[in-house]
Amino acid sequence: MYTYIVRRLAFGAVTVVGVSIVVFMVLRVLPGDQLVAVFGPEGYTKLSDAERAGYMAQLGLSDPLVVQYLHWIRDIATGSLGRSFFRAESVAEMIARRGPLTAEIALISVVLSWVVGIPVAVVSALRPNSIADNISRFVSILFLAVPGFWLGMLIVLGLLFTFGYRAPLAGASLFQDPIANLQIVIGPAIVLGLGQAAYIARMARSSLLEVIREDYVRTARAKGLSGRLVIGWHALPNALLPVITLSGILLGFVLAGSIPVERAFGTPGLGYAMFTAVSERDVFVMQNLVFLYAIVFVMLNIAVDVTIAWIDPRIRYR
Amino acid sequence: MSAVDPETVLPVEPTSRPAERSRLRRIAAALRNFARRAPLSAFWGCVAAAIVVMAIAAPLIAPYEPLKSDFRHMAKPPDATHFFGTDQIGRDTLSRVIHGSRTSLTIAIAAVLFGTTLGALWGLASGYFGGRFDIVSQRIIEFLQSFPDLILAMAIAMALGAGLGTVIVAIAITRIPFGGRVIRAVVLSLKEMSYVEAARGLGASHLRMMARHILPQCVAPYLILATTHLGVAIIIEASLGFLGVGIPPPTPTWGNMLADSLNAGLVPPWWLVLFPGLAITITVLAFNLLGDGIRDILDPRLRGAV
Repeated sequence: MYTYIVRRLAFGAVTVVGVSIVVFMVLRVLPGDQLVAVFGPEGYTKLSDAERAGYMAQLGLSDPLVVQYLHWIRDIATGSLGRSFFRAESVAEMIARRGPLTAEIALISVVLSWVVGIPVAVVSALRPNSIADNISRFVSILFLAVPGFWLGMLIVLGLLFTFGYRAPLAGASLFQDPIANLQIVIGPAIVLGLGQAAYIARMARSSLLEVIREDYVRTARAKGLSGRLVIGWHALPNALLPVITLSGILLGFVLAGSIPVERAFGTPGLGYAMFTAVSERDVFVMQNLVFLYAIVFVMLNIAVDVTIAWIDPRIRYR
Repeated sequence: MSAVDPETVLPVEPTSRPAERSRLRRIAAALRNFARRAPLSAFWGCVAAAIVVMAIAAPLIAPYEPLKSDFRHMAKPPDATHFFGTDQIGRDTLSRVIHGSRTSLTIAIAAVLFGTTLGALWGLASGYFGGRFDIVSQRIIEFLQSFPDLILAMAIAMALGAGLGTVIVAIAITRIPFGGRVIRAVVLSLKEMSYVEAARGLGASHLRMMARHILPQCVAPYLILATTHLGVAIIIEASLGFLGVGIPPPTPTWGNMLADSLNAGLVPPWWLVLFPGLAITITVLAFNLLGDGIRDILDPRLRGAV
């Protein structure tokens, strides 16, 4: 078990280093002048060559790429992560201020996806091809097709028109102002949670239908156990293995999906910061945030693999 | 060339025509079979086809010019002249939704054609040859998958600058790993089949083996994968447009229209939000259900794999 974890972590570390290089290359080497982003196309043409060189040096953009890369690594190691082009706040401060909101959204949405998805799957799998099964399958396919950010916009509009209600726009910490915090977080969490619930329900249903055909489930039935007990106690735990893997992967996608969803709700989280960085072409912020998202994604995958190996010895010894 | 002696042509005709007719008949029979076995998917397949036709014939169908402002009708709710209302500078929403299907479908189809196909061919080669090539390929694919696809697409689109080609490339790159993984798994199981071994025993070259014996078996999973990924590509394209890294305005795309509606004022008019999103949902739903149907008919074993 420990060698498995160590091996997974080692591979994860290699991936993270690789990710940092790729993120850096994509955002720095590819065309697109950073000064144009800072001053706008018009402001840029008004600058003299000397001024341009001065600003480039000030931003550390005239050093050789390797040096720039090492500077970035140094910034990561010291925890400051560099500065935004446009704001006084360092990227690290921004992540500390906005990150918790997005993390809350992600966690609540995962819990919600299980609370909604698993019961729906059980109902479906108990009577395949019944009316309830067909309805729940169609609804889950429908939710795969609905873009989360659009659903978010509709919810915001609907609440505004019917109740004149809008979630507070300023950030609120969970500990200082839990009610305002919940109002901010709940909308995106519901939208993202329903999106995941659709995947979870589909996966859990097909996995359950497969497990139900196994011999040990038939034995449990033959013992005279009730249908509910057979499903809940014997079939479900085994059927949930692929669902756990999927849920981990989905959590990573939720982090990405929260970018447009946070924009739709106007949530002051990390996703909104990512949107701002993209629209301002703020390369420093962008590079750190993309890197952060990738690290979290890699770590989530490792966590899922280790959890699965811990639950299921067949994988550990492979 | 035109002066062909009719008598030399005649004997050929009777053999070629029925062959053609029987192929048409086979396709028609297959479609009928599809409609009977998966009526829901067949219905949504027709919806998908209708959307494709709408995209192709957009200028003929759209009641107004999508870029033309009518300053007498600005930000008007739906009425008899503008069925879906107008936006804040008086452009007809219905026409913009219809024209938006062009961009969405072009990008989605191109991204899937490049990305999923490249991934599939890569998976075919890496599964077939195995060994070191396979190991390296697997690592690269795992690496590509260490970014959530929307973030990867955003970073690439932002770095390359907005434009049709950029968005296609950005989405195509995120599709590569999926094609690679699924097709590789199929090829790995095919390689052990006895007919493949027999062909190898007969001394078939690698190219012949892949093209003649393995590729045809990969067509079904590829089709299923491609249809499903069309839907995913459309959602990513809409998200990019919504975040302002997609096709630059004023080109109407569904994502751009939703982003524009947020700039229309403190409260976005409901018709500017509802209709573009509805278009995305219906299109994606149509492709997903069509993909589901194709999967059930062609290869029920792939349930859950794609």
